[in-house]
Amino acid sequence: MASTKLYAAIYVVLFAFATLQVAVEELGFLGEAYWVAFGAIIVLSFLKALVVAGYYQHLRYEPRSLSYLILTGLLAALALTVAASYSIT
Amino acid sequence: MTTDGQPMNDSTGDDEAKTTDDGSRRTDGRHTKADGGHATTDSEFATPSGAGTDTEDGHGLPPLGSVRRYLVTTNHKDVGVLYIVTALFFLIFGGVLALLMRLQLWTAGQGLLSAGAYNQAVSIHGLIMVFWFLSPFAFGFANYIVPLQIGAKDLAFPRLNALSYWLYAASGLLLGVSFFQGASFAGGWTMYAPLDLPMYTPEVGSTTAILALLLFVVSITVSSVNFLTTMHRMRAEGLTLRRLPLFTWTILLTVWMMLFAFAALLAALMILSSDRLLGTTYFSFTEGGSLLWAHLFWFFGHPEVYIVFFPALGVMAETFQTFTGRRLVGRKWFIASMVLVALQSFGVWMHHMFLTSINLQVKTLFMATTIGISLPFDLMVFSLIYTMIKGRIRFVTPFLFTFGALVLFIVGGITGVFLGAVVLDYEFRGTYWVVAHFHYVMVGGVTALIGGLYYWYPKITGKMYDEFLGKVHFAAYFVGFNLLYFPMFLAWETPRRVFDYPPGLTPWHQLATIGAFVLGASFLLMFYNLTASLFTGEEAGDNPWAYSTTAEWTVPSPPPLENFPGIPSYRSGSIDFLAEDERSAIGSGTAADGGELTDGGVATVSDQATDHAPGHERITDEGEGEDHASIWPLAIGVGAFVLLLGASGFQGASFPDGFAGTFYAGLTGIGALLTGGSLFGLTRERFTGPSGPFGESWPFDGIENVKTGVWIFLASDVVLFGAFIGSYVFIRVAQGWVGWEPVPHDPLPGLVNTYLLLTSSFSVVLAMVAAEKGSKRGVVASLGLTIALGIGFLLNKGIEWQELFHEGLLLSTNVRTSTFFLTTGLHALHVIAGLVIAIYMLTRATRGAYLEDERPIEYFGLYWHFVDIVWLFLFPLFYIL
Repeated sequence: MASTKLYAAIYVVLFAFATLQVAVEELGFLGEAYWVAFGAIIVLSFLKALVVAGYYQHLRYEPRSLSYLILTGLLAALALTVAASYSIT
Repeated sequence: MTTDGQPMNDSTGDDEAKTTDDGSRRTDGRHTKADGGHATTDSEFATPSGAGTDTEDGHGLPPLGSVRRYLVTTNHKDVGVLYIVTALFFLIFGGVLALLMRLQLWTAGQGLLSAGAYNQAVSIHGLIMVFWFLSPFAFGFANYIVPLQIGAKDLAFPRLNALSYWLYAASGLLLGVSFFQGASFAGGWTMYAPLDLPMYTPEVGSTTAILALLLFVVSITVSSVNFLTTMHRMRAEGLTLRRLPLFTWTILLTVWMMLFAFAALLAALMILSSDRLLGTTYFSFTEGGSLLWAHLFWFFGHPEVYIVFFPALGVMAETFQTFTGRRLVGRKWFIASMVLVALQSFGVWMHHMFLTSINLQVKTLFMATTIGISLPFDLMVFSLIYTMIKGRIRFVTPFLFTFGALVLFIVGGITGVFLGAVVLDYEFRGTYWVVAHFHYVMVGGVTALIGGLYYWYPKITGKMYDEFLGKVHFAAYFVGFNLLYFPMFLAWETPRRVFDYPPGLTPWHQLATIGAFVLGASFLLMFYNLTASLFTGEEAGDNPWAYSTTAEWTVPSPPPLENFPGIPSYRSGSIDFLAEDERSAIGSGTAADGGELTDGGVATVSDQATDHAPGHERITDEGEGEDHASIWPLAIGVGAFVLLLGASGFQGASFPDGFAGTFYAGLTGIGALLTGGSLFGLTRERFTGPSGPFGESWPFDGIENVKTGVWIFLASDVVLFGAFIGSYVFIRVAQGWVGWEPVPHDPLPGLVNTYLLLTSSFSVVLAMVAAEKGSKRGVVASLGLTIALGIGFLLNKGIEWQELFHEGLLLSTNVRTSTFFLTTGLHALHVIAGLVIAIYMLTRATRGAYLEDERPIEYFGLYWHFVDIVWLFLFPLFYIL
């Protein structure tokens, strides 16, 4: 398991990433290159989620089956979202 | 060796065990066994009397036969019986509605029923049969049989199992009540938008029916978590997934599909309830509200076909093995095919939408995936047919029904392939071809389950049914079935869901109506047979079926309260019942005869087990075993019923004026108090469930039951939130992604809330660290901080919402505000639920809890971090992008 120091470092990183996401918008990147900024913001969200799941929820130290379990749910939700949205394009 | 290379161990049973169901000798006269073995019990097998089936000492469980027992029981067998009996009641309910429809269709045009009543009969018949009859009927067997087959004393969470049942019963009652609130739902069982909106179905009863289905789905979710935890974590030693009995395999796959598919339906129903109660506009927005419903519904709806059918397939596989005396031919390929179908089932849903405006590319893709899903079924059908060819069939009632089910399923399957082709679907969609096809599939499944009822009736009751009446039932059923549904293929041009049709088709419809009454009457025979046999039937004995191979036949009929006379183990290749100290003394991977371990093995009771059974009883007698009774699941069910009945009166974001409004508001308040109080009572109750160590726990070895359950629940919650976010994405794509303005003008409140939640996640981690270090002050301070931050999050959100309301931006203003308020509102509800748990834990922590065992904090953290993760996506989607 991770140490308290590592937990604290992760907290700082998460805090910074959240700020960075708003900074992307506040600095006008969304207006200039919407889809690049969109990609950056979503990637940051995924990174934050990975770190929380990996360290705070300890998935990194658990049997892989738990990660696959959650990924299966995520895959199902993504399949629904992507296919449904594509069907009306 | 069997034909597919598996060893067939001999039974230890004597010659008496070689007689078959009707007293004749075994049909193939050989000592080889289907599915690796033969289930027998030695005559000296002892029923544990201490926790017996009709005693008062089952840890507060009233004796068998008393009504009170069934109100408080948490034992899987009692709950199974409750499911079966209740589901059969709903079969009658749905069946009567079907007969009313068929009477109406005797001639074209209006007749017996008014137009509205006919629409209600069609809709509620479909809803009842699909939701309240079929799956619960199958899960009655699953409840009763699966723990016995896997060697578990009970499900992992017995009280949650009882809760699942009582929520199911409450939801069914709610559906029944809906008929007395103006009218019940009349928009078809698929509840297509916009027919599901108040504009078309304005009656309070329509809302009640939708809330009833929502409650049913909650029950299913609770049940799914419980079954998955049980089947993955609590299998007997040596019972690997490969050796799992086929019925249990089908239930395992069914429950996995249920976990994800019903989460999508839960999202759809929550959104629909919000549209009806709060005035959101998801399904009424003009750019695709109805398409959104269709996507959400059918993402659930197609897996639901297999959710309904797989348990029937399991019954077919079990009974084919037993009554042909042969192990299923190509068993592992049969299992692989089912796994494949379970996966593929989530990739075919848009074939239900070929007539909508989805694009041609996606239609073509889904046509291909639909044709693809029929292929594994071909293998399964041939496997069953070849098993019959290789074996020697005994035509007893259970087999007649399951064989009949195979025939009906083949017809249903072939006629379904037509609907998977886009061009043909343009012609057939919305006609009686579809009605005939899915009834051949779905009621084909019912046919197998009826076979299952006859098959396990002796085990459940200890009595044998009347074989002659059983066969007459089958004959009447099969004739009635085909007389009812086959003419629908011939009258396929009849439009679905309406009572008007071309007069030239009248003879076919009249034939179908006669068939419906024959089919209905056949059930009277069944009810008479099973009821009379309960009182006057012959004693069935422990195992009335020669060549049965699964563990339920090794225990008495009905089985004792805690199922087995020792700890079940398959390590020797057979099932043995061991004392605690013998668990590790079993062989290490080879059967006693030197052969390979088999799947399910030879089911016998060893002398050791008999010798040690009394010890097992003594443990139970001294009250050190599991509990089997709790009143709280029933109380929660009652509370949920009252709460949702009250909520049904909440239309357009307010209760109506006058007495009705007061009545519904009062019910809502009482229901909330009852539910909340009962949940609290549940948490305060001392209840001992099954505890490890268990045998096989792959793939969750080393992750204890509660933790496994929490993770499985979270996987379901991922799909729930995924469906909400997916709906938002779909609507935004429909309206033009880039032109969409976020509802909050300023991302700052959202950023502050992100900081608050991230900090609260960190403080939960600190609480766990403090608990590990044994610091009470640290635990209390960290949990207190978590609660303060959570409250801060809600306050900040409240202020933000208040400002938006003042600007005139309400849930009902437009689809932008609807998606914003509802999705972030659902998240806020999760935060509130987390806070309630955290406050409860804080009060316990102040008294020194969690210092010896920090796991509850860890499990709470799993949930709280998940809520945090969801916000990490909601924040950019709703505030920034």
